[in-house]
Amino acid sequence: MIDPDNIDYQKMGFKAGLEIHHQLKSKRKLFCHCPADLDADLQKHPQFTFHRRFRAVMGEMGDFDPGMLVEVEKGYLVIYHGNDDHVCTYEMDETPPFWLDMESVDSGYHLAALFNCTSPSEEVVINRKQYLDGSITTGFQRTMIIARDGHIELRSGKKVKITNILIEEDSARKIKTEDNGRTVYYNLDRLGVPLTEIITDHLDVDDPETLVETARMIGLNLRTTILAKRGIGVARQDVNISITGGDRAELKGVQDLGLLPKYCAHEVCRQQALIDIQIQLASSQLEKEKFQHTYIDISHLFDDLGEGEKAYCIRLPGFEEYLNTEIQPGKDFGFEIFEKCNLITGIHYYNMFHSGEASENSVLNRRGTKDLLITQGKDNEIREVLSLEPGDGYIAAMGPEKPVLHTMKISIERCKQAFDGVPQETRRVLHSGNNEFLRVIHGKGRLYPDTDTPPEPYPMEKFEVVKKKIAPRPMELFRKYEAVGLSFTNLELLIRDEKVPIFQKLVDEIKAPVSLAVQLTIEIPRWLRRKGKDPEGISHFTTISIAGNIMSNKIPRKHLRPMMKELCMASKENHDKIIAKWICHNNEKDKENKPSDQWPTNGGCCR
Amino acid sequence: MSEEYQPPDGYRGPLLDRLVQEKIRTWSVIRVKKTDGSHYEGVLLPRSVHTSDDYISMKVDTGYNIGIQLPEDAAIEEIGYNPGAYEIPEKVVPINPDLPNVTLLGTGGTVASRLDYRTGAVLPAFTPSELFSAVPELIDICNLTPKTLYKILSENFCPEYWIKTAEAVAKEIEGGADGVIIGHGTDTMGYSGSALSYFFQNLPVPVVIVGSQRSSDRPSSDGPINMMNATTLAAYGDLAEVVVVMHGTTSDNYDLIHRATRVRKMHSARRDTFRTISDIPLGQIRDREINFFKKDVRPRSPREDFHLDTKMDERVTMLYFYPGMEADVMHAVIDKGYHGIVMIGTGLGHVGKPMYEALDRAQEEEIPVVIVVQPMFGFSHLRVYETGRDMLARGVIEGKNLLPEAALPKLMWALGHTKDVKEVEKIMQTSISGDITNREPYSGFSIFQGGVPDFYDNYRNVDRINK
Repeated sequence: MIDPDNIDYQKMGFKAGLEIHHQLKSKRKLFCHCPADLDADLQKHPQFTFHRRFRAVMGEMGDFDPGMLVEVEKGYLVIYHGNDDHVCTYEMDETPPFWLDMESVDSGYHLAALFNCTSPSEEVVINRKQYLDGSITTGFQRTMIIARDGHIELRSGKKVKITNILIEEDSARKIKTEDNGRTVYYNLDRLGVPLTEIITDHLDVDDPETLVETARMIGLNLRTTILAKRGIGVARQDVNISITGGDRAELKGVQDLGLLPKYCAHEVCRQQALIDIQIQLASSQLEKEKFQHTYIDISHLFDDLGEGEKAYCIRLPGFEEYLNTEIQPGKDFGFEIFEKCNLITGIHYYNMFHSGEASENSVLNRRGTKDLLITQGKDNEIREVLSLEPGDGYIAAMGPEKPVLHTMKISIERCKQAFDGVPQETRRVLHSGNNEFLRVIHGKGRLYPDTDTPPEPYPMEKFEVVKKKIAPRPMELFRKYEAVGLSFTNLELLIRDEKVPIFQKLVDEIKAPVSLAVQLTIEIPRWLRRKGKDPEGISHFTTISIAGNIMSNKIPRKHLRPMMKELCMASKENHDKIIAKWICHNNEKDKENKPSDQWPTNGGCCR
Repeated sequence: MSEEYQPPDGYRGPLLDRLVQEKIRTWSVIRVKKTDGSHYEGVLLPRSVHTSDDYISMKVDTGYNIGIQLPEDAAIEEIGYNPGAYEIPEKVVPINPDLPNVTLLGTGGTVASRLDYRTGAVLPAFTPSELFSAVPELIDICNLTPKTLYKILSENFCPEYWIKTAEAVAKEIEGGADGVIIGHGTDTMGYSGSALSYFFQNLPVPVVIVGSQRSSDRPSSDGPINMMNATTLAAYGDLAEVVVVMHGTTSDNYDLIHRATRVRKMHSARRDTFRTISDIPLGQIRDREINFFKKDVRPRSPREDFHLDTKMDERVTMLYFYPGMEADVMHAVIDKGYHGIVMIGTGLGHVGKPMYEALDRAQEEEIPVVIVVQPMFGFSHLRVYETGRDMLARGVIEGKNLLPEAALPKLMWALGHTKDVKEVEKIMQTSISGDITNREPYSGFSIFQGGVPDFYDNYRNVDRINK
């Protein structure tokens, strides 16, 4: 395995893209009239519960999406929790969709303009995207393309392509799982909340740092609008990664952008290791057709099997070294297979083992929780039963017979897949930086038009109007104010605190120095908030008046903090009086002190 | 390009002319470039009817569909051709001699279905291989033979179809089927089921009507579970009645078995919409296990005694009384030559005084008027109030607790056998296939009434007494 801390991304042909999901502000959910906010407590005792099971359905081309069939194999029992405040029969999939929330569609076109999209949908078609994990009661998400072919500008000037901007309904929130993942609980409050998905070209970013910057910049751009919700859990991102010779892996569950480079590194390791295995297999005598679906009952070797439990194994001729190959730090290819089996069949990876694990130089990764099931002696017994030759491998599993046999089937299929290199998979990131199988990447076969809602023409005149109303984008603002001393960090704070309009008034209209404008709009309000005061009561008008008095030296700058503290404790109608008082106060002192006219060169920020 | 050019489906007007001129077909991979720089590539899809004439439907590379306009100055070209082929997965289903034989007659229900591009709607797909691909579990339950009778939506059913359906069922029973399932749109299941209940004399096997409230093009469809339960009942249930089998709760938990003459669709969309009215359901099916709640379930009986009686007079109509209803509505019905009227009266079955003159005329012209009740639960009692007695004096027939969906086909069937009002009254007031219950159990009236503080107690039939 290559060293994850020392990867030459250019050389590896690293390519990546993002799918950023962000909730939108709206009065109601996308397809019903429930409020678009969430229960404060996810675990709240539900007023009602119900359960469902899902099946794959034929796509419009008459076939089943392979990804969907794997989903069905998992056979989840899904239990829903609902409360009347946030859930109606729409979220229960018990009534057809109501009229689409056009306010959210308008937001979508606004974002399309913000991200420079040149190819809008002129008629919005609502599509169904199948999800069989239970996160959506219908089994499909209603989703629509608003526009295509946009871009986002990074600080280097690089324009990362944005392929699609979508508006869709959010999924339900997972509460917990039971029964080794077979039973899944969801709270329905979030289901149907309007969401935008912003997708960047998955071949357009060449290194992890740029990927992180792209994500940050998209977030910052969203902040310049008032459309995106703020707070914890309103944004989620998935990452698509591939390297030369590999294939697209979609990493789900990236919460912390700071960890993204590590996730990228571990995925590059995995893909390269799988490619190496593929190359070695191609030059070996092995053929994938020779891997037989013969499952050998080895229950008699174990005397501690539970009621109705069985142990089975499969022979993998010449495959031992591949099972032992480390593909991510601390994880061998055998364990990669176990993760997949565990997710699909529910047989825990504690109850699976392979031929390399009992040896001294095995790449053990049992996530430190449980001892290995197998001993050197047991390993020898199995080798004897299977009459293994040197170099031959095996995979064994124990548990209830049906899922164990299913595990055997998946293991054989996954070993055969090794001949083809990297499979297209959606994977879940883990704390270690590694990732594990979640599902086969969904194909186009899981998308089909919604039969419950007719297409909705969207007047392009409206889109043209929106384009003209777009507030300046972060990089446009930066280019404008960098010359007069605004740092990018402060620009980020201005955008984050929604202070760009007042900042612009101060700098553009009354020609306040940037450092003063930053102090008035970011530093002092943040300081006040830390002191437990609410600075939002200080109006733009008052802020401009203060700036004017400072610039004309009527109030020294050192009085700004106490004065503004007093202002935010007083009622608005007294603000003028308070400012007058501070001017007066200064005039008296003026005789003693000469006012300072030295501005600090950079306002910096108070963190 | 050897085949002859066909214009793309569903397009109309100037847009169609333009597409034809450019030789664009359905499934053409097209590239559209507009003067404003916008650019689109994708597969041209057929256009749904009842949508705007001005847009092209296309599927783009991500699998999503979008719509765009094609202004005159935009360039469009065909850069490929990618025909969609709806191929049904083939599944060979062997006959197992140890399993019961059940026939599934499709009338347009959507146990298996596919998308129709033209209308954007869902169409039933009903070959055996499609069915078994959609619900493979059926293979283990019985030897199921699907046959398509019609492909119609249930609102387009009419008495003629009831008769044809009954004949088809009879043919299957005579051919040795151990049970018959009818796939049926849910809207009018009650009417069809009631009509069949009157037609079948000495029914020997179960006739199970089944459908789905979420069409089977959805992963969350209730259809497959309903289908499995219906199949189980048809194959193994010791029951020889016409019944409806549908979800009992919103969960994928169990199905209820409803007597067709007593069942009603009580919600426009929910899975558990079907409820037995003024009685409890016949039973429940959960995980292929049948559990009867009622003791009077009619058991399977010898085939020799079975025959059909489909004599009907279709000239029967139904009127729903409302405050201020005038007699002219009923006069019009009589003028149009209807032979019988089901009148849905308020409360215990009342109509207003202005209607009396029309009731008089109906009596005079020997047109039976059968009274059923708007509250749906409970009986018509025309002896309690003066209005009721006035109505009885004008010859109306108390429909007891017949449901409207049963009363209508029953009156057609009665009039098919006799025009004598007294005879009709006798038939209408005799319980046939359980359509009238002489006793109404306490728990026959239960519907959700959330928000009431002691609702859950009520639901569990706990009587909380105020002290």
